[in-house]
Amino acid sequence: MADAQFDSALDLLRRLNPRDIKANLNAITSIVPDLTEDLLSSVDQPLEIRRCPQTNRDYLLCDYNRDGDSYRSPWSNEFDPPLEDGTVPSDRVRKLEVAANEAFDVYRDLYYEGGVGSVYFWDLDDGFAGVILLKKGVSPGSQSSGEWDSIHVFESTDRARMSHYKLTSTVILHLSNESQALGEMDLSGNMTRQVEVDLPVESDASHVANVGRLVEDMELKMRNLLQEVYFGKAKDVVGELRSLAPLSETNRDRATQLEMIKSMQK
Amino acid sequence: MTSTIELASSFIEGAPPGELADVVADIQTLTEGDDVISSLTPAFERYNESQLTTVKLPGSSQEVIVSEFNKLEGNRYFDTESQTSFEFDHVTQTASGAQSSPLESQNADLIKSLQKALAIHAQEHYPSSSHGVYPIENDTAIAILLVANRYSPNNFWNGRFRAIYQVPVSSPALTGKIHIDVHYYEDGNVALNTSKPVDLSVSSLSAEAIVSRIAAAERDYQEELNRAFVALSEGAFKGLRRQLPITRQKVEWEKVGGYRLGQDISGGKAR
Repeated sequence: MADAQFDSALDLLRRLNPRDIKANLNAITSIVPDLTEDLLSSVDQPLEIRRCPQTNRDYLLCDYNRDGDSYRSPWSNEFDPPLEDGTVPSDRVRKLEVAANEAFDVYRDLYYEGGVGSVYFWDLDDGFAGVILLKKGVSPGSQSSGEWDSIHVFESTDRARMSHYKLTSTVILHLSNESQALGEMDLSGNMTRQVEVDLPVESDASHVANVGRLVEDMELKMRNLLQEVYFGKAKDVVGELRSLAPLSETNRDRATQLEMIKSMQK
Repeated sequence: MTSTIELASSFIEGAPPGELADVVADIQTLTEGDDVISSLTPAFERYNESQLTTVKLPGSSQEVIVSEFNKLEGNRYFDTESQTSFEFDHVTQTASGAQSSPLESQNADLIKSLQKALAIHAQEHYPSSSHGVYPIENDTAIAILLVANRYSPNNFWNGRFRAIYQVPVSSPALTGKIHIDVHYYEDGNVALNTSKPVDLSVSSLSAEAIVSRIAAAERDYQEELNRAFVALSEGAFKGLRRQLPITRQKVEWEKVGGYRLGQDISGGKAR
């Protein structure tokens, strides 16, 4: 029954308003407390920002840098509030993590021109895994605003001179607009995509470049997909509900067109 | 702690267009064994009345609206066009016990001509819609409702357009709201929710004047919404993440960050 409940919880979260995902997640886990851990680790929510007390830099919070009630800063490798024996990556994986944070900081600056990013890595028996987080909010007009959260989780499994990468990416995108003529408009949601690939690895340096390119390609794909769904698909469905052109005209035009095709076929 | 009934009620009321049955099935699985559905009747009622749920009357193919404006005692509602009242089961969304219910209103003529004018308007712009005109507030005002649904679950999208207007008989004016809800859920969950207040004067208390005002308001709104899609795409969306860096070049991953070619942190030769 637990599996069926987990599936129902995911189905419900896929149907209810994505803007309220946090409240809906809390509601579901309040009805079925046993699902809490599984849902928290498989449902992506908008990321929260915290300031690292050691470096004074902002970092992002998620389930992967949490230990109890503390979160590990990628800049200092320290937990806040401090933890005596918080789980940290091995020296080798921490070095990779530091390098990936530096690389994705450049990436964030080039593509987001602002925002906050964080990369967290952890050890696996036959490789390592990590999460790349990016977040940015804008409010170009006083009445219009947007928020983007990228969550890329990957696993890298060692093979001979190669690594097998599995990447699962979610983008949460909220947009809203408000004016006298428009009233209120809210366009919110999330989309998820997966990719698996084998790539050559010469040294540890290859991992940062491999993961970097995977995430860069995925974000380009997802940005195009979001553009298509948010501004193409959603607008098309509005057009399916209500036709701006009178339907009698549209139907007449269609009939004329059919007549023409018929006469040309004669 | 909020009770299961209250939480499940919020799920019912938040169900997207055309997906109420799916949400109910999920609630049943989550609350396994407990019979919560019968306790959720008030939430079903609020959902049906605010979402302008449509139902086929027994022995008829015509769909009629369920709303707060055509509500009678108990779970009975009336339809002015067919002059029928009926019992509505809010959980199963089915109608029964249809009875003749003649329209008794001093504005009966206006209501009937509004129905005709609204039918022509609906046919011209809504491929699939239902509408209703009802006397409200002790016959001092008229409610005009229009709901258009398109469900395409096989293509993972559903949509609903609702327009709810009120016209006071004493002073010709049109007030109300237009709502559009669209749900797209292939490999994700994306929702469009809009709400637009309408507050317009009407030249005279005639069906033609009122419906032509409605038609203009709905057209203006759809055009405004189409412009808003473009504005969000060109504005907020572009401001969040660029398609390519300003250099038009992708990131040279070998050259950024702590790793540079030839420099290996695991103890290899440094540059």
